[in-house]
Amino acid sequence: MAKYGGWAGKVLRVDLSTGRISKEGTIEKYKDVLGGTGLGYKVLWDEVKPGTKPYDSENKLIFGVGPLAGTGAPSNGRTAITTIYPTCWPKPLVATGHFGGDFASQLKYAGYDGIIVEGKADRPVWLSITDGKVEIKDARSLWGQGIRRANLDIVQELGPTACVAAIGIAGENLVPMSTIINNVSHSAGGVGGVMGAKNLKAIAVRGSGYVRVAGDKGEWEKVIKHHLSLLGANNQHVVPNSPQPWAEFSHPGVRWVASKGRAWGAAQPPIDTGTCDPHDLNRIAYRTNNAAFYLGKIAWQYTVRGNGCTSCPIRCHTLLRVPYLPEKYGNGITEYIQSTCVRLIFGRFLYKSFADGVLGRTAFDACMVGVYLIDDLGIWDNYGQIERDFIKIYYEGIIKNKIGDAEFKSYSWDKYEKGDPSFLFDLIPRIARKEGELATVLGRGTGALFDQWGLSEGEWKKDEKIGYWKMGHPQHHSNLEAYQLGAIINTQYNRDVQCHTHTNFLRNGLPIKEQKRLAKDLWGSEDAVDDIGKYTPMNINKAKMTRWTLLRKELHDSLSLCNWMAPVVASPLKERGYSGDDTLESLLYSLATGEKVSREELDGIGDRIFCLHRALMIRDMGTKEMRKEHDTFPEWVFKDPQNRAPFTPGTTHMEKNDLNLGMDMFYNLLGWDKATGSPAEETYKKLKLGYVAEEFKKNGLLL
Amino acid sequence: MPTEEQGKPFQRILLMIRERSKEGQLVSTKEILQGFKNQGLWIEGKQIAESNHETLLSGMMKEINDLREIPDQEGHPRYYSSLLMSEAYAKILIRKEGDPLLLITNTVRESSATCSRPTPISLFLGPPFMLSQEEIDTCLLRMREDNQYQDIRQTTTSIGTRFLYSTLYLTPDRGPMLAEWIDVGQVNNP
Repeated sequence: MAKYGGWAGKVLRVDLSTGRISKEGTIEKYKDVLGGTGLGYKVLWDEVKPGTKPYDSENKLIFGVGPLAGTGAPSNGRTAITTIYPTCWPKPLVATGHFGGDFASQLKYAGYDGIIVEGKADRPVWLSITDGKVEIKDARSLWGQGIRRANLDIVQELGPTACVAAIGIAGENLVPMSTIINNVSHSAGGVGGVMGAKNLKAIAVRGSGYVRVAGDKGEWEKVIKHHLSLLGANNQHVVPNSPQPWAEFSHPGVRWVASKGRAWGAAQPPIDTGTCDPHDLNRIAYRTNNAAFYLGKIAWQYTVRGNGCTSCPIRCHTLLRVPYLPEKYGNGITEYIQSTCVRLIFGRFLYKSFADGVLGRTAFDACMVGVYLIDDLGIWDNYGQIERDFIKIYYEGIIKNKIGDAEFKSYSWDKYEKGDPSFLFDLIPRIARKEGELATVLGRGTGALFDQWGLSEGEWKKDEKIGYWKMGHPQHHSNLEAYQLGAIINTQYNRDVQCHTHTNFLRNGLPIKEQKRLAKDLWGSEDAVDDIGKYTPMNINKAKMTRWTLLRKELHDSLSLCNWMAPVVASPLKERGYSGDDTLESLLYSLATGEKVSREELDGIGDRIFCLHRALMIRDMGTKEMRKEHDTFPEWVFKDPQNRAPFTPGTTHMEKNDLNLGMDMFYNLLGWDKATGSPAEETYKKLKLGYVAEEFKKNGLLL
Repeated sequence: MPTEEQGKPFQRILLMIRERSKEGQLVSTKEILQGFKNQGLWIEGKQIAESNHETLLSGMMKEINDLREIPDQEGHPRYYSSLLMSEAYAKILIRKEGDPLLLITNTVRESSATCSRPTPISLFLGPPFMLSQEEIDTCLLRMREDNQYQDIRQTTTSIGTRFLYSTLYLTPDRGPMLAEWIDVGQVNNP
């Protein structure tokens, strides 16, 4: 029997240039970085040279899952896909896309902790993995097909339990703004083109094995039940959005939308979501209806149920049945639509307005059409940036000025201005096919507006409404809601930060008094958190929370715990004073793997993974000057549209010296040099990254 | 039900209170006493006289930790189980029996004070409030005309949702900003 539980024990390596398929030991090479993003960073560090371009055959595409994937731990369906990113501007650098669904668990059940895809096939292929049997198969009949069709064809061959991660036409055409999608709606953004460049249409996995839990089984069951008992609704929102008998508080902005009278209207028979007492663990799935949260009450009547990932009771992907869609919009649209979060509102986001408002029928239809198109063609939205860019460049007359008259006239702009959802059939397929100047630029991402159209990045950085942060990517849960913490974490990645550790807590719906009480236990002081619209100067506890936020993000991404749900540091339980459990990750890891670690020790591994990510950036950018060259803020962060001073009630805008102090504190807690933002030699060594220090010594990148 | 409660003469009443609390309803003294009467209560082989039912009720209140009492609009007690209903919810139910204007203004003030958050007007259309649009509109009109409610301000978000907040607890700088964040900002920053 293997020494450790949790891990499957093998990482699959597939060289598409040679057709060679091999396996290597997970524990020997990757245990120190757990899996997921950690595994991806390690492979890039060891095997991909600085300067490698995203679509070079030397670039690698690493599908990493962690030791908790495929166990019974709640919300363990995450896969991290790490590569050199095609949308990172002006220079492609390391980043990760993530998807949920069943890919991670199927991969584990088939016996693998990851797949390293390298090289480039000489013709379209797909990868078939059924337990020990791994085959590279001809995909010429699938090439040119949408994601749904590809999925269906492969599932018919491998059986209904197979999970298919496929690219659409966008990925095939090497559109940088493209996705890989599994189970039809679980998408990882920015990585579809890299897969397309390898001529790889899909990876299908079917496993018949299991994940061994090494620890005491009774203890494991106890921890799982404890974990479930602390869960809220999506994003760990722990109060309902309207008063419920059991609830002391409610908050109109949270995603716990269940209530008596709110029913899944398209279920047969319709299901009333009810009061959902948090002690009733059999009703967790009724708490969330993200279609209703994002699209308004119109969505209830079309809701069939919540769908989601392996072992997750939250079911954040709402399945809708909208019978009139095929007849009304044609173009092959189905009456079943399933999505969540930013992709659910893609269609609506692309328009400036609708005659019947953003919660009306037209906007709803736009969302349905949008999901259908981007999920079938495999287009990425870059956390809403492509939509915001599009509105700006259209209404400022930039599109008209930049593309030829014939191309401009080929679009039905009258439909667009009227908010007609059918305009999406005009625009979106062209992006996937790189058809024309406009579609090609949009498909390259925001960076293309700067280097292809000569627009000024500085202009994008001035405007809060455009939401742009840097390097071709937008802000993501930034100072707009998390003040210094939000601003600092948004400096740390090469794409949007994709971090929910902090916002899962800050938006949980508890009154600030309760949040502050919990914050004192978690980060040493009530002052670690601020009430919304009333932020205070930087302090060391905010810096501690910032560090914790990012280390936990990397831990979740490497363990395969969903960072859209974890950490669970607050709960809906009044009898616990609404506290969650900050040790859940270490409890689960210890029992699953059999290696007992404390919360602090596991956070240390998160620190190592985050530091390795930092090292990759330093190496590939070829500079130690990360604070100056990388960790930057857009101008809008410091500019209040109403000219209110920093710290004035109502503003979310930062004060420069205060934020610089925040950066100092953050670097200091990580053992990074304050002047450069580079980790010190002793930090690398302490984190068992001595090999990084040794390499940096040779090429002058060590402090 | 905890084992020590089983076999008590008030067991069925206790179950009824808990069940009603779960459903979001309070129980009146009259309903409890009627319940005792219907049961024909016996202790140690002797039937309890109706005149002793109130004593039994106070005994039940003392003995059962989760039972709570809240006065209604006339000061008469109503009962609920704190295991299944919060005090905040019980208060709403009591307010609901009175003037809808007070139901709205007290809810808005409490939300602004305790939770630093404005209240969407549409909240009052749904459970447990269940006011009609007409009732709400009448209350908004009365609020504007009565000096006692001048702290209650209305703000409309960029997508047209109306919120109320109290300036006793949220400044005019912050109230509209919070409403916009709740209604638009959180959805646009998923």
